[in-house]
Amino acid sequence: MLAVQECRVECRFDGLTLAAQGKGVEVIAIRHAAVTPIRAAGCVTYSAPRVRLVRLGIVTRLWPLVLASCVIFQRPVEAPQGDETIVALLTGGLAHPMNDIARHPWFAIRKKGEQQWMVYEVGGGIAREADPFRSHNIYVGPMLHKVWRGEEAERAAACIERVGTEVKRDIDENYRLFPGPNSNTFGDVVLRRCKLSAALPATSIGKDWRGLIGVGISSERTGIQIETPLLGFKIGLKEGVELHVLGLSLGIDLWPPAIIVPLGPGRLGFDDR
Amino acid sequence: MKAFVVLLVLIAHAHADPAAGAQLHYELQSFHDVHDDAMQPPEGRHLVLAGVRLHAFIGTRTIAYHIGIDLAAGSTIDGGGFAYDVALFPVGGALRFAQTSFVTLGVGIGASGALHTVDDAVTFPIEARFEMGRGIRLLGRVRATWVGAAKERHGGSPSVSFIDELEAMIGLRLGRAYWDFDFPTGNGYFVGAVYREWMGAQFVGGIIGYSLDMGTPRKPR
Repeated sequence: MLAVQECRVECRFDGLTLAAQGKGVEVIAIRHAAVTPIRAAGCVTYSAPRVRLVRLGIVTRLWPLVLASCVIFQRPVEAPQGDETIVALLTGGLAHPMNDIARHPWFAIRKKGEQQWMVYEVGGGIAREADPFRSHNIYVGPMLHKVWRGEEAERAAACIERVGTEVKRDIDENYRLFPGPNSNTFGDVVLRRCKLSAALPATSIGKDWRGLIGVGISSERTGIQIETPLLGFKIGLKEGVELHVLGLSLGIDLWPPAIIVPLGPGRLGFDDR
Repeated sequence: MKAFVVLLVLIAHAHADPAAGAQLHYELQSFHDVHDDAMQPPEGRHLVLAGVRLHAFIGTRTIAYHIGIDLAAGSTIDGGGFAYDVALFPVGGALRFAQTSFVTLGVGIGASGALHTVDDAVTFPIEARFEMGRGIRLLGRVRATWVGAAKERHGGSPSVSFIDELEAMIGLRLGRAYWDFDFPTGNGYFVGAVYREWMGAQFVGGIIGYSLDMGTPRKPR
């Protein structure tokens, strides 16, 4: 019986593990590892009939990877190293089955000389965590969107400490799951008020909540947006054009280039930076 | 009407065992005119719609009251006109079976049209939907629609004379099933075929989308 050598490589989409044959040209197997994604590559030997069976199975499992693999140069989700002050913006998917359509943001701050991260978010407390990059509460598939370091991070940390607490209190008092204000509104408001030039992904529904009507600078700070709960749009130099319908985002991101979709990582194209 | 009253009575007697479920679809569908001998060919011979369908039911483990909302917008390709198709289903029933499978029947009101090519009209749809399976899930719907106003859209279904428009979809979700927090759920991408009859023409096309379902369990895990 013909034996085929097969090597596994890690896939960064919700714990799916992708296995590739030989030099990685032919993909022949995907295995689900939702709890602990396999990080180390390894090799196993499958018989030819099993390879054919797995090859058939892959057809039914490829769809999530179509979206996942369409985020190019995705930033690795690991805690930034260094003793300086670091601020990071992350999001995680909601629990199943909402994981592909709704994400939740949190700011992680580690000040110079500290070991633990202080996490700011709506939906949880303001609390210290050892590694909010690997796992955070009930959220699945964390994504790292932006990292600030040094003096920039010092200013960001001070602002998030001051503004974040206030915004969190306001949103907690007026919280509405849909269309907002919710935890994603918190992320966007803090980004704008602290002038942090970053954006939440399209699947962070509620990020564009501005009340009944709102006009202002976008969180990336190179564009403007006009929003109502029903319809809205954003246009800018980096932002490109984004249409918002009932909180769902569709559009074209100019830099980094991508198509904005309200699914999965929220974009088909280069990772947002 | 009698069936609806029976449904309400059954649900009212099921207070001791409440159960509920919901489904959400994101869809992108494309229709192409393949046969239009019956009437003047519609100007919009190719239509693309993107939309959201949110449906839910509440009742017992087997029979439930069903509501839903469908929102879609897009464009005719030839005419280049903005197109839309929206509907609200405030009245309906659901029959649940297996763990998360169901058939629903809904009656509603909606609106549809396309700029320059298809006259705007109020619509009165009756829609049957079904979903069967868990992660790998068969999805489908059939909708018969009566059109108010827009006389040129009346009698526009070549195959069923007493309705104005007909639409059907069948798809296969290639997804995953979960059992988190004691709830059976599932999600994933789906692909399928769509069929539509309106303005005397028959349209066929494809659909891709994302579907998720959640609900209270019908039986122990």
